[in-house]
Amino acid sequence: MNFLKKLAPHIALAESQICKSADLHTSAVCCRVQSGRYRITTKRNRPLTYEMANPPHFIAHRKSWNSWNTSTLLDSQRPAQTAVEDLFIRKFITGTWHALTCSEIIIKRQHNTIRIASIIRQAISPRKMYFLIGYTEELLSYWMQCPVTLELQTVADKKDVVFKYI
Amino acid sequence: MLQVLKTLRWAQPVRALSSVTTSNVATNVTTTAAVPAPEPDTLFSKLEIELRGIDPAVLKSYTWFANTAADHLGIEKGKCWSPRKAHHERMTLLKSVHIYKKHRVQYEVRTHFRYMNFHKLTGSTLDTFLEYIERNLPEGVALQVSKTELQQVPEHLRQPPEQV
Amino acid sequence: MAASLTRLLERSLRTTHAPQSSVRLFSNGSQKQQQQQPEVEDEEEFRVLNLRPVKQQFQRRRDIRRDDVTPPRTTRMAVDQDWTAAWPGPRSFHPASVPLPLRQGFTERGAAAPSKFANAELMKIPNFLHLTPPAIRQQCEAIKKFCTPWPKGLETEAKWKPHFPVEVITTDYCQSLPTVRNPEARRVTVSLKLSDLKFDNHARDKFLRLVGERYNKETDVLTFVTDRCPLRKQNYDYALYLLTACYHESFVTEPWEATKSEADMELYLFERNQAKRSAEAILNWNAAEGAPKKAASASYAQCVEQLINEGENEYNLAKYKEEVMKMLNVAAQ
Repeated sequence: MNFLKKLAPHIALAESQICKSADLHTSAVCCRVQSGRYRITTKRNRPLTYEMANPPHFIAHRKSWNSWNTSTLLDSQRPAQTAVEDLFIRKFITGTWHALTCSEIIIKRQHNTIRIASIIRQAISPRKMYFLIGYTEELLSYWMQCPVTLELQTVADKKDVVFKYI
Repeated sequence: MLQVLKTLRWAQPVRALSSVTTSNVATNVTTTAAVPAPEPDTLFSKLEIELRGIDPAVLKSYTWFANTAADHLGIEKGKCWSPRKAHHERMTLLKSVHIYKKHRVQYEVRTHFRYMNFHKLTGSTLDTFLEYIERNLPEGVALQVSKTELQQVPEHLRQPPEQV
Repeated sequence: MAASLTRLLERSLRTTHAPQSSVRLFSNGSQKQQQQQPEVEDEEEFRVLNLRPVKQQFQRRRDIRRDDVTPPRTTRMAVDQDWTAAWPGPRSFHPASVPLPLRQGFTERGAAAPSKFANAELMKIPNFLHLTPPAIRQQCEAIKKFCTPWPKGLETEAKWKPHFPVEVITTDYCQSLPTVRNPEARRVTVSLKLSDLKFDNHARDKFLRLVGERYNKETDVLTFVTDRCPLRKQNYDYALYLLTACYHESFVTEPWEATKSEADMELYLFERNQAKRSAEAILNWNAAEGAPKKAASASYAQCVEQLINEGENEYNLAKYKEEVMKMLNVAAQ
């Protein structure tokens, strides 16, 4: 028992260190050469939306941006905060509308309002959908401290958004 | 939009323009004490609008909108132009994580500019016009307005100080 | 599932060992009352003992009853509808509300571009559907009552310049941010022509020395750019304060200003130089004691000043020669 007592501070220290290292959340590195690009499958049955079919270097040529704000422009404020907020909004919406979002989440910022557009599957009843819209808008506007509007488009089936199979 | 416009909160409903003519510029408008003196309208000789955006087509449409609105409101339009090339902010990174120095990837953020000029606006016209076009600013476009206000020489600078 | 299994077991047991089954029933307590009613009906019917728990009967998948999806609104739109009412404000594109056969997207040669339904590209791009020409006209007519015309008599810059010589340039910023503050907006530029202020010789010289770089000699424009204070109003006040302070200070003659020597002069002045004394000495050569002193002519003074201030060029030299000969009464050859 005495042995354990001696050990106790060490254990506490080790625990605190574990906690410290746990503060930093890291995710797998997205390789710059591979991110946003999709491999061809042997059966040629991987569905791709238009967005996925065009790799990132076609942005502004064949496809457009998913985030519309002025933070990335020359001499503008809050680029980092805007990016983090956009990431959070994307995660929140894909989680809240679980397995329902068929496209990327498009975030448009106009003055202080945020307009979020997306394509949603008609898998749940309209009542639930209305609830989720209100829920998302309310919570996001509370967190972002600005008005948030959801502008959704619904499709009957997931296959409607498929552009091609590779 | 009409309903929105109706509910716009104008800072001052209509600012009375003291008719500034060449004859009574020097003399201040004399008003009776009972009526609150109408605030003389300010004059702006030039309004320069700089637009920045990521998509030149959006900027072009917006410019068309602003010019049409100026036409309807009877504002004198000036030059409207955009530089031929966008501003490119480039970042060059290694393609691989830490080796193969010869292989790089380049990312860039482009900023397109567009300029509009308007001339000879009174203060209330300028407020109305600016509020209208700013409210209809599309997403992803930043607006920068330079206003040139005309003022008289301040009262205490018109004559040299007598005895110092 | 579990409840039905126990029920089956209970029934099979009841046929053989009645008392035991009752015990089991009692042990179940809450379930007992519910199960007693079907018991009576089941006695007539022969129940098969299902020894092998075969796969439960395939439960028919419940059909998900979906509400009818309403057809796109565009099908019910009149041809001559009021579009400004159908699309009143900025909004992402919605295919069911826009009666246009739009297509957007890049495809390989020969294939049609993706249609407007379920097309994310159309939703991304900012649209101006709420700013159609009739909508702009309608809105402009509504706000036109807030506009005032430009006053008569001030049409051109030459006309308004005498009355409004001071120009104040301020900048506003409008960005898609949660904040409306922009630190750059505090900058104020006040500019005016120096000729609009009244000076005497000393004051003008002193004023130009005080303002230094802010005066542009070519255009005669004085410009104050202030960005010291955090607010625009403060900066504007500060600019006017600077102007006022410089103006008033330039009229003050300090005691030490009398000690200004020839090396400090910014201009050559005939009055305070050797040239004047030399010219007078020549003119008053051999003059009687009491006779009035002759001074050099004004045109001579002017041409000497011009020669030294502007530098030697052909015109100035020729003029100087002419004046000197005139002063010395030498006839041109």
